[in-house]
Amino acid sequence: MSELLIKNATVYDPINGINGDKMDIAVKDGKIVDSIGGGAQTIDAEGRLVYPGGVDAHTHIAGSKVNIGRIMRPEDSRSGIKPRTKITRPYTGYTVPNVYAMGYRYAEMGYTTAFEAAVPILKARHTHEELEEIPIIDKGGLTLFGSNWMVMDAIREGDQERLAAYVAWGLLASRGWGIKIVNPGGGEAWGFGKNVSGLDDPVPNFEVTPRQIIRNLAEVNEKMNLPHSIHLHCNNLGVPGNYKTTLDSFDICKDIKSKRDRQSLHVTHVMFNSLGGNHWGDFESKTDVISDYLNKNDFLTVDMGQMIFGNATTMTADGPVQYRNSTTFKARWGNGDVELEDTSGVTPLYYSPQVYFYGVMWAMGLELALLTKDPWKVLLTTDHPNGGPYVNYPEAMTLLMSKKKREEEIAKITEKAYDRWHISGIERELDWYDIAIKTRAAHAKVLGLVEQGKGHLGIGADADIAIYDIKPDETDATVEYDRVKAAFRKAAYTIKGGQIVVKDGEITATPMGRTYWVRTKVDNDGYNRMMDDLKFKFKNYYSVNMANYMVQDEYVQHPVVVETEYAEV
Amino acid sequence: MQTVTLVPKEQFKISIEAELITPDNFAGKSNTEIGVLIAYEGNTPRPLSELFDIKVDGSAEGADDVKIEIKGSVPRVKRIGEGMTGGRILIDGDVDMRCGAKMKGGIITINGNADSWVGQEMTGGEINVQGDAAYYVGAGYRGESCGMRGGKITVFGNANDFVGEHMCGGEIIIKGNAGILPGVSNKGGKIVIYGNTDMPGSEMTKGTIIVKGKVADLMPVYQREGIESIDGEEFIKYVGDVIVGGKGELFVR
Amino acid sequence: MIIKDVLCPFCGCLCDDLAVEVENNKVIDVQHACKIGSSKIMGHDRIKAPMMRDDKKGEFREVSYDEAINEAAKILANSKRPLLYGWASGVCEMMKKGVLLTEEVGGIIDNTASVCHGPSALGVHEKGMPTGTLGQFANRADVAIFWGCNPVQAHPRHMSRYSVFAKGFFTTKGRKGRKVIVVDVRKTDTADLADEYIQVNPGMDYIVMSAIRAIIANHADVVPDNVGGIPKEKLVELAETLKSAKFGIIYFGMGLTQSRGKYKNIDNAVSLITELNAHTKYSIIPMRGHYNVTGFGNVCAWETGFVNAVDMSRGYPYYNPGETCSNDLLMREEIDAAFIIAGDAGAHFPAQSIARMGKVPVVQIDPFHNPTTEMANIVIPTKVSGVELEGTAYRMDGVSLRMRKLVDVDFPSDEEVLDKIIAKVREIKGASS
Repeated sequence: MSELLIKNATVYDPINGINGDKMDIAVKDGKIVDSIGGGAQTIDAEGRLVYPGGVDAHTHIAGSKVNIGRIMRPEDSRSGIKPRTKITRPYTGYTVPNVYAMGYRYAEMGYTTAFEAAVPILKARHTHEELEEIPIIDKGGLTLFGSNWMVMDAIREGDQERLAAYVAWGLLASRGWGIKIVNPGGGEAWGFGKNVSGLDDPVPNFEVTPRQIIRNLAEVNEKMNLPHSIHLHCNNLGVPGNYKTTLDSFDICKDIKSKRDRQSLHVTHVMFNSLGGNHWGDFESKTDVISDYLNKNDFLTVDMGQMIFGNATTMTADGPVQYRNSTTFKARWGNGDVELEDTSGVTPLYYSPQVYFYGVMWAMGLELALLTKDPWKVLLTTDHPNGGPYVNYPEAMTLLMSKKKREEEIAKITEKAYDRWHISGIERELDWYDIAIKTRAAHAKVLGLVEQGKGHLGIGADADIAIYDIKPDETDATVEYDRVKAAFRKAAYTIKGGQIVVKDGEITATPMGRTYWVRTKVDNDGYNRMMDDLKFKFKNYYSVNMANYMVQDEYVQHPVVVETEYAEV
Repeated sequence: MQTVTLVPKEQFKISIEAELITPDNFAGKSNTEIGVLIAYEGNTPRPLSELFDIKVDGSAEGADDVKIEIKGSVPRVKRIGEGMTGGRILIDGDVDMRCGAKMKGGIITINGNADSWVGQEMTGGEINVQGDAAYYVGAGYRGESCGMRGGKITVFGNANDFVGEHMCGGEIIIKGNAGILPGVSNKGGKIVIYGNTDMPGSEMTKGTIIVKGKVADLMPVYQREGIESIDGEEFIKYVGDVIVGGKGELFVR
Repeated sequence: MIIKDVLCPFCGCLCDDLAVEVENNKVIDVQHACKIGSSKIMGHDRIKAPMMRDDKKGEFREVSYDEAINEAAKILANSKRPLLYGWASGVCEMMKKGVLLTEEVGGIIDNTASVCHGPSALGVHEKGMPTGTLGQFANRADVAIFWGCNPVQAHPRHMSRYSVFAKGFFTTKGRKGRKVIVVDVRKTDTADLADEYIQVNPGMDYIVMSAIRAIIANHADVVPDNVGGIPKEKLVELAETLKSAKFGIIYFGMGLTQSRGKYKNIDNAVSLITELNAHTKYSIIPMRGHYNVTGFGNVCAWETGFVNAVDMSRGYPYYNPGETCSNDLLMREEIDAAFIIAGDAGAHFPAQSIARMGKVPVVQIDPFHNPTTEMANIVIPTKVSGVELEGTAYRMDGVSLRMRKLVDVDFPSDEEVLDKIIAKVREIKGASS
């Protein structure tokens, strides 16, 4: 395959401790290599900023929820239109882009890997049909387990072997990468229009608590030696005072240690779960308390869920939250219960800086990133498209790099927000290295993709490289943030697997990426117990036959399968 | 003052999308410069000179001083006047869909009938339809919360269903009859129907609808308030739609 | 040989429990399916070879696949406003190619929903769609309302598999634990087996729904004594029944989507469901017709951002039902070529549309002879999807499943034909640019 040489790069590769070194990068057969012969295609980076290709550990890019968003919002699809070219299919949409725009716009930003945050097993085939249509980027999906009947029954009966066997089966059935838990137990309660109110509130008819669901799945996650930790969307999202639930949720996994070099708990879009006060009248930011916890504990990581003003489409498996959003804001409501497994909801929202709670929530995402000392612990996300579309990552990046920019934005926000947040008092400005951590290195580490060659530029890594039109030595991001934002939005070069796919922000090639998933060998007595229970449920409760249920090979054309094995200790 | 006269060269069968026919786009341009502007016949780009005989008299600095006259019926030319900010367009006959869509200012006069979505998402200006209008007069685009936000549309003939759907502001006058569900989901604005209509003001939260003719079916979601006089005529006043907590005003005979 | 867990390629129920006996590469028996599903799988007379004719009234002459494909490509490549319609009887894999072909020729792609549940999508744009998978309703619903649909006729196994007789985790009593209500303009077969039948005057569904909503919102005082032929007391009683459910579900069909108000009926029904959720759990779901019409909506949406009726003539998708639907265009005589695949335009379109199709070149891709064939100039027979070809289909509730191949035949698939047409169109357009 072709060789490529990038000369004169100013490289930030935090996983390998490289902090602005001037170096050349050699690429051969889609990988970073030590050196190559002469005569290779050469890109002169001219001292510009070079990062590993971006990695997004939490984004809603494919599947039933996303498509319901598209169907519901023709007015979103008609924005962001770009006609077809010889190389590209048409782009449509802003918060719910079509599959082509989805891949192209990530690549334009220098991102090369993105993981779908929530895959319901029964509808996983749909997720993979869409993933297969998204060009360029590598991808994977996190499978929902948190309100699943098989899971809850096994937990209630104290049968962790059976639970592990089921999780392995579920990951295979959905070709998933890891365990996703959303409002644990709440998805089942929502089946009758109810919710769970706290970690010890038993799920009606199943008599297990959210605490038990989280704990058991976390333990089983480590017994299965999965690359990623459990990935948790906490209970009580969006409810003032919920920071307490969040801290209690953190504590559940405090004593769980992973064999792998990573966290044992990842909590997602934690901005929405860092609310203080008792109601919207007295609500305030409690990110200081959350960050304090993060500063004192190394077993967990979080991602921001940064709010971006303007249009958003909220879509999560937190059915009760989506219903509440739609009735509170009189917005359209898409709800999608999935029998025996979970639920979902889709609600379009508009975040105005003139509404004080949106203003505070905007600040809170930034606070989490800035108040937490270790940049590896807080990933940059917008929970696309819940906080806002991912094309706005450069906005979030520059807000973290520049206090002046923050002040500029604060001036547009209603004063009613001012005494509820901490952002005004924060001086910290992140640098190029921190940003590289928060937008690629940490995501790869948290997801367990470093071993797969993602998130870094060491020898043997995938040749996923982003060159941005910024000379770091000559650029002061604390004042030149507009130019930096534009540069991050449209990469000078994006290289995917050694192939140039973007030049000057325009797509030049559209190779197809790969889909990463995990197969765990479970050799325990629980497997037979699990199969008996599963067959019973298919016979009596599922509306499809077991023989037709699992995602078939045809739906994952370019798989990368990571094999793990269950072990008791 | 610049006057541009367009005479259609044929009776178009496949719709021509001609969003470039606006005073804004024609201001200060010569005959040839207007002639090379591209319209679309289905998937095929066609310069205006192929579609119309073009005559230009005078010149103008901006849209306000431009008058466009289309001398002939153009029931298959869409999007005329789209987004215009000033000036005048006179169409001597029928016109196709989305005439005056997103209009900001100026005046469009249609001497014949207008097809659906005349004045779609309008924010200002004036449209006069001497004949009939089809569906969705002054309405919005699918999924948008607001259709018309300002300006005035007058239809001297009849209009079909969904007049002023999702209206947020402005004024619509229908001198003839209107079809079903005028003013559906309205958040503001004023609709006056001189003729008959059916199920006015469903899901209205704010705004005014006055019906001088007969209402075939009243929505069962309006609170009767009493008798009120408007310009010397007596109406029964209703407030609703109660389901959505609406304070819209519906005046019927 | 008996093949189990076979999916039925007929209606939106997408039953996946069929057992098909195949001997010597021929289907000889079908178990568990309803009559119409069984009939499709058993197969019947099909078009044996591609055929062409210049004069629609004349005789077809048999041609090779290459000749038919090349001619079809020529017609499409040279059209200014071609319509590519149907899709719903095929598998998703070929629909993606349909979107690509439409882009290549700058035409309009539309599906059978245009004459069926298209209005449901318009209702979704206004209000959303609170729904779930069919098993959710089978396991939980104790109140099932059929509004403007007649599953006994149109979805024969729906009631036993999902909606009326099904027993589930929370519905162990099956039919006995369920209250079944039918709202319709006439007493259908489904109404005959319901616990309650409410007759509504034709065209009055919208107003009746608003009246129920007003009652539920504690505004019964503004509701008149009779609404749409239903006495107010009956509506008050119905509102109470609805509110007292543990889990209610409304199934709806053409009675709402094709009667006065059309999409506004769906819009209103969704609002009713949303408002009922303040009291108890409710969902709503459209009774989709073709087994993969939901698949088209999904494929079209992820490919173009819009659910159907997509006009690509400007090089990007534009969507506006009322302007870009098949019949909107045909009735205005705008279409200059029609490409009908896996859908029977001839059977379902209004006379005026058919008259237009009689005047322009028509290409048909279908295994079977049907009314569209009468209007066609080029006919290309393909595999029967779900019997002779495997591929993806979406059930009415959005669950996607993989159709099986039961027998081998010597016909190309829809996708193979589309690929060849796309290649030929590119060649023709490349040569002229």
